[in-house]
Order: sequence, then structure tokens, then C-alpha cells
Amino acid sequence: MKPVLQPMLLLLTGAAILRVSLFSDICLRYVKEGLQPFLIASGFVLVCFGLVGALGTSGELRHGLRFIMRRESTSSAPAGTAPAHDGHDHADVPGIAWLLAAPALVLLMFAPPALGSYTAARDSPKVVEVYDHFKRLPAQGPVPLSLTEFTARVQQDRAKSLGGRTVVLSGFVTPGKNGTWDLTRLLVACCAADSQSLTVTMHGVPAPPPDTWVKVTGTWHPSGALGTASAALALDVRSLERIPQPLSPYKDRPPSA
Amino acid sequence: MRHPEGLAQPQQPPDPTPESAPAQSTAGNLPVPLIVAGLVLSLLVGELGYSLLGNDTWLRHPGFTAWQTVVVAITVQALPFLLFGTLISGAVNAFVPAELFTRVLPRNPALAVPVASAAGAVLPGCECASVPVAGSLIRRGVTPAAAFAFLLSAPAINPIVLASTAVAFPGSPEMVAARLAASLATSAVMGWLWMRFGREDWLRMPARHSGHQPGRSRLNEFRLGFQHDFLHAGGFLVLGAMAAAAFNVTVPRSVLDMFASSPWMSVLFLAALAVVLAVCSEADAFVAASLTGFSPTARLAFMVVGPMVDLKLIALQVGTFGRAFALRFSAATAVTAVTCSVVVGWWLL
Repeated sequence: MKPVLQPMLLLLTGAAILRVSLFSDICLRYVKEGLQPFLIASGFVLVCFGLVGALGTSGELRHGLRFIMRRESTSSAPAGTAPAHDGHDHADVPGIAWLLAAPALVLLMFAPPALGSYTAARDSPKVVEVYDHFKRLPAQGPVPLSLTEFTARVQQDRAKSLGGRTVVLSGFVTPGKNGTWDLTRLLVACCAADSQSLTVTMHGVPAPPPDTWVKVTGTWHPSGALGTASAALALDVRSLERIPQPLSPYKDRPPSA
Repeated sequence: MRHPEGLAQPQQPPDPTPESAPAQSTAGNLPVPLIVAGLVLSLLVGELGYSLLGNDTWLRHPGFTAWQTVVVAITVQALPFLLFGTLISGAVNAFVPAELFTRVLPRNPALAVPVASAAGAVLPGCECASVPVAGSLIRRGVTPAAAFAFLLSAPAINPIVLASTAVAFPGSPEMVAARLAASLATSAVMGWLWMRFGREDWLRMPARHSGHQPGRSRLNEFRLGFQHDFLHAGGFLVLGAMAAAAFNVTVPRSVLDMFASSPWMSVLFLAALAVVLAVCSEADAFVAASLTGFSPTARLAFMVVGPMVDLKLIALQVGTFGRAFALRFSAATAVTAVTCSVVVGWWLL
């Protein structure tokens, strides 16, 4: 890799990182929010090093170019003749460094979507933590719940707080077996490579297209004993509404009312 | 080990890993630019193919899109840590006098190894940060055995990782203790093994970084060292991310159930899974916690092997230390880590 190009690659990488972390929230498709400030800082550091390097090399550009051409014309000469006055003795970055350009260009050009139903259908299900106690639900009206809390209340809450209650859930559509479909969330601990899925099977409405984000209102689908591990994670859907994909798709929040 | 690999291989798409071999051995010849250009295109090709060929190609297959997403995710996640590690390594090169390390570490290398293992606790980050730092320690005259002990222990026993392990396994502090003990043991054993069997000529490290040269600007040296190390390691990081993402997307989690019942196979299987999934060490405890069908010892092996050996790390080590070293060292580390996990698991879990 030519010495003049190295700061350019730093600039490209830094610009890509800043595009997805500072100028948009695209990075939340790949990592948790906690990393975003560090990404912004990394982007700035890379851009600074790239700029300083580019300015430094442009000052030496003519000298550098002349040097490169001379070296290429004498590339068969023994290594010992490499001139000592060359300021770029770090220049021998192998070509594999260009691989860094791939994710940088991808992020600058189109930025792949967040993981969806394909991954959810093959991921291991997330183990929902054991709740010590459940907060009292509001006395009336439909209750917006995250999939985590819905799962916990269905399978752990001895008080059967969801019995007869209407709940509102949101997530994306994953086609299931035998014509059923699942409302799904992917949760990540660090980045999208460690995603785990939470699913609730939907009854009573035809499946929207895969990966559509929806908000559903309904009641627990009675199967098994509510409040125990035998209770089915399922919902009898009364109404369904399409919603845009949330900003942080891996954060399991209750839907807004 | 045979089973999981046999299962994984037929399903994986063209695997970029073997191509790191020619990339290293024939550096400077024609194949490298071609391979690199091919891999760069492979990530971009989805969108280009979409605009050229329309909606109906395998390029829009959800599995391929998921692969792209996971490659980008692993790279974006690792980048701040790699940057942090490279900055520290560059600073060590340019500003820290070599005498400092010889003064701080015990003179006897056999004693320096466990001290370096324990010192791993001070580098808060995941494994991507520790590879460049270990490289700079060796260049500054730290005995390689101690630097390798540090390399292995830092991503596994730093406070962030131990805290996330405690969160992932609520109510079982013995899992945190077991992870700490097994990781420390593995790193120290590997350091001592290197002293006994390691050969310096396996290490192929760039010799240019020889610290501060009189008459040159320290800041400029720092910048050039950083630029070189970051670009070099970044390229290998992307290569590792591509390989790990290929496994991540193609291996369905349902194969896990097949191995959960046999105690021995389950340990080996989860160790192999840790290698191919390349989950960051700060997150692997949560993945381990989700593998509920497996014995605690098998899950411990997953958390001990993961931060020390995985596809992304092997690629980074090939870049920093050379292929001859990285392959031998990773294989030995995997065996040591599994052994230590089994012993510690039998003792504590």
C-alpha cells in the first residue's frame, strides 16, 4: 500500500464511522447505544490522524511520488539499498489493509439493515431473567409491555396478573410453522453477532409480510397454566397496526400508547 | 472436535479463512490484491447486484444480507477497542522507555509470567485491544512469554468482563470465580509453555518499530506507528469478521441440542463454538448463559476459550505476529484452555 494512500484509508474509515454514529443513528443496527459515544470519538481520532497524515504527505508529496517511482523502477534491488532518508519507514502496510475499505464503503454507501426474521428463526431463544416481583399493572385499559416482561408475566407471575387483561406488544414478524406467525424481538448484549430472540406466537390474524414491524393488541392465548413454565407464549390478537422500525431495533421497549 | 466441524463445513459459504494463508506467504505477489479486491467486492456486491440484476438473485437472500450485517457489526463493535489498543501500543512505542518494563517485571521470566497474567486485569477492553498492546510490549523488550500471558489474560479477567459475567449468571458467583481462575491458569500455563517450547523464529514481527530514534520527532513516530498498526490490524480484523460471520449466519442454533447431552462432547463442542462465533469477550457470558442445555463446565469452557482463541483473534495474531506463530499458539491455547476449564469446572462448579 502506497504511503500516500494510508491516511486516505484512515479518513475513509473515520468518515464511515462518523456517518453512522454522529450524523445518524445507523450504528444502532449493529451495536448497543452504549458504544455510540466511543464510536464518535473513534471517528474523530481516525479523521484527525487521516488529515494530519494527508497534510504531512501532501507537503512531501512531490518528494514522495518521486521516491515511489524510483523505488518501483528499482524494486529488484536488494533491500539493503532502501534509502535511509525515507521518512516513511512504516510504509510497508500489506495489501490486506484494503479490507478495511469494505465495511467503510458499505457503511458510507448503503449500510445493511438490522437483523430480522431470518436470524430470529435460527437464533437461540433468550432466557428471560427471573423476576423477584412484578409491579402492579394499571387498573384498567390495555397495558403496553415489552416482550421480556410479557414473557416473564406469562411464565413466572403466580398472581396471574395477565389473566383477562388486554396487552399491547410490538416487534417484527417472523413466519412460523403450520401457517402461524411470531412477533419477535432480537436482543443483543454487545453487537449483532450475539443476538438472541424473544418470540410470542400470534393467533387470530393472518401473517403480515416477514420483517414488518407491527403493534398488536390482544389477550393471552390460554394454553397451559398461566404463571408457570407450561404457559404458552402466545397471544389472541384483536387488532394489529403497522409501525416504523424503532430507532434502536435491539432494545426491547414497551410500545408507546 | 470432529463432529462440530463436520457439521459446520458443508453449510458454510466460501470461507475466507484459508485465503489468509496465501495473503501471508506470498505478500507482495499478485494473488493478494486479487483476493483482497474479491473480498471487498463480496461485501459490496449485494447492493451492486441488486441495482444491476433486480430483486430476484441470491444476492438478496436474507442469509447473505444477514452476513453483511454481522460482518459490519463485528467490525464496528471491535473498532473502538482496536483503536484504543493501537493508540496505547503506539504510545508505548514512542514514549515509554524500555527500561521501565525490565524494572517493573521480575527478572526471572518464570516469575514474570504470572505477574503479567495478573496485570491483564488493568486493560479494560476486549480481545481486539490486547493484541497490538502485547505486540508493542515484545518490541519494547518484555520477554515474549510474559507478553503472551498478558495477551491471553487481559480480555478474560478485566473488571468489565467479570462484571458482565456476574450479571449474566445472577446468583452464581462461583461462575465468575471459575472464569477468573481458569483464565489466569490458562494464560500462565501458556506463558510457561512458550518459555519451554516456544521458538523465536516463529515470530515474524515487523522490526521497524524499535522505539524512539534520536533525531526524529516523537509525535511523528507515534503517528506513523499508529497508522501502520491500525491499518494492518484492521485489515485482518475484517478478514476474521468475515469468517466468523459466515459461521454465525450458517450454523443454526438447533445443532446445539445434539451435543448438550454428552458431557465430554459438550465441552469440546462449546469450545469449538466459541472459536467460530467470535463473540466479544464482554458479551460472551450472555451467550453462555443462554446455552441452558449445557453443563456449567461446558459453558465455562465457552467463556475461557472465546477471549483467547477465535477466528477474529487468529486473523489479528497472524497480522501482528505472523502465521507460523498464530496457528501453533492458537491450537496450543485452545487445548490448554479446555483442560483448565475442565479442571476448574470439576473443582468449583
